[in-house]
Amino acid sequence: MPGWQIALFMMIGYLVIALVVGMLAGRGRDSSSLNEFAVAGGKLNLFVMWFLMGGAVFSAFSFLGAPGWAFSKGAPSLYILTYTAFAILPWYIIGPKIGRIGKKNNLYTVAAFMKGRFNSPALAIIVGLIALFASVQYLATQMSGMALIFNVMTEGRIPVWLGALVSYGIVVIYVATGGLRAAAWSDVFQGLLMIIISWAVGLTIVYQLHGGTTEMFATIARETPEFLQIGKTGSTMGSMAYTSTILVSVIGFLMWPHLFSKSYATTPKTIKKTVLAYPVFALFLIPLLLVGFAARGVVDSGQLDSPDQILPFLITTVLNMPGWLYGLVGAGALAAAMSTADAITHSASLEVTDGVIKNIWKKLSDTKTLLIMRIGVFVIGGIAYYITVFGGQGLIALLLGAYGSIVQFAPGVYSALYWRRVTTKGVISGLVVGTLVNYYFQLVASTTPFEIHAGILGLIANVVIMIVVSYLTKAPNVADVSKYVDAK
Amino acid sequence: MSIRKFYTLYITISMVPLLMLIFPLFEIGNRATPIVMGLPFSFFWVILWIIITFAALIFLYSLDPDNKEEEEDV
Repeated sequence: MPGWQIALFMMIGYLVIALVVGMLAGRGRDSSSLNEFAVAGGKLNLFVMWFLMGGAVFSAFSFLGAPGWAFSKGAPSLYILTYTAFAILPWYIIGPKIGRIGKKNNLYTVAAFMKGRFNSPALAIIVGLIALFASVQYLATQMSGMALIFNVMTEGRIPVWLGALVSYGIVVIYVATGGLRAAAWSDVFQGLLMIIISWAVGLTIVYQLHGGTTEMFATIARETPEFLQIGKTGSTMGSMAYTSTILVSVIGFLMWPHLFSKSYATTPKTIKKTVLAYPVFALFLIPLLLVGFAARGVVDSGQLDSPDQILPFLITTVLNMPGWLYGLVGAGALAAAMSTADAITHSASLEVTDGVIKNIWKKLSDTKTLLIMRIGVFVIGGIAYYITVFGGQGLIALLLGAYGSIVQFAPGVYSALYWRRVTTKGVISGLVVGTLVNYYFQLVASTTPFEIHAGILGLIANVVIMIVVSYLTKAPNVADVSKYVDAK
Repeated sequence: MSIRKFYTLYITISMVPLLMLIFPLFEIGNRATPIVMGLPFSFFWVILWIIITFAALIFLYSLDPDNKEEEEDV
């Protein structure tokens, strides 16, 4: 049997197991409960929580993009390790507080969290829409990753539309039926799989090509030491660009609705323990970076359409790997993409329902809300699929800009929790200005001042405007403030 | 220790390793050689500080006054 056929069978086998795990997880729970669908009753344990948060960061980007960065850029790829380890740390302090506020006021989303503090449907709608566009963009990236893997591992036999349809279709089915709990248990299975596979495959590749990491890096350090450094002559990234990219990722990470809303899904103690165990997840990414470095000097970048294809390219073309290894890498990459896609699809549907729909039709029963959330999973899945397969020309800019705008939630969220004097108008104007500045520098301007990341420039504008407008407008109602700032 | 004091300590301690991994302090570790444990020095430097962070978090958790009162929930 040829390699691609073994790989195809293994990937299908993986997809069947993923579907079964997802479907089983939701069984025996109250399927008519909104609370269960949205936050798994608030009772996820440490083991599941850790994989849920970790699975979300271990995405198609880590499996395909991280080796691609290491291969094409070198040392700047270390930013992935740094931000993964540090971005979770604020959660130790804000997570339990957000969780308590959420339980008291029955919240499931970022949009409802902001609305609860600032009494503004307009703000909830803005947050809901940014979350929707950003999520669709994120999903489209994951889906392209899944489709690429299917395509490369079967040597072009599974077309992009089919690979994306099958793998993402499974995600949509288990999320729509089992809600957060299904996503969480799938992430445990998918997380274990991708950790084992990335270590096994990563080290195999390094040893086959170079005989070990020391030999490999000694060669690179002798020939092109600047490739292993940042901000030197000949390095691929400047020190300011590197630093501000890390900062924007660290600040923005927890603002992603699928991570933010996990504060509602468990207890304060579990949140803290998840944070403790989280830096270990960053270390799991090491072998994927090693793969990228290993390809240097072996693969010429002209052979690839994009650096992201380096891992599958090494396996199928450069190295003579057995078919079952094709299959393993395929399954691992699918797992990485799917464990991110499930959480995002779920939270995007919640944000749109809570932020946009419930603020237009104000009197929805819980049963109707739950039904809309389930349907939302299919609709959002459909939009993301359409974008992935057919492209969206004009839409792409909108989505990319929204993706970069998630970090602009941060000033509003932190002020909601800690700053009594902040006003609704302050937060809205900060968010709008920050988002526009970010759009401008990300999509219109060709360079940014001092190579600072567009998101950081947006944040600076956001914070300044928020503070100024807040002091110019009337102080907010003390009771509303106290509900959040003094939450115990 | 009061919860306020603990949070200040938490923020201070977790800022130190982060600062070591961004510029200007990252410059200390920003070099290709020596190769330590099979990794270039810049790579090793990042991993070293992540491990230190992990250890520091466990230490911090043991100091957290909130954990002593709360119910066991796992």
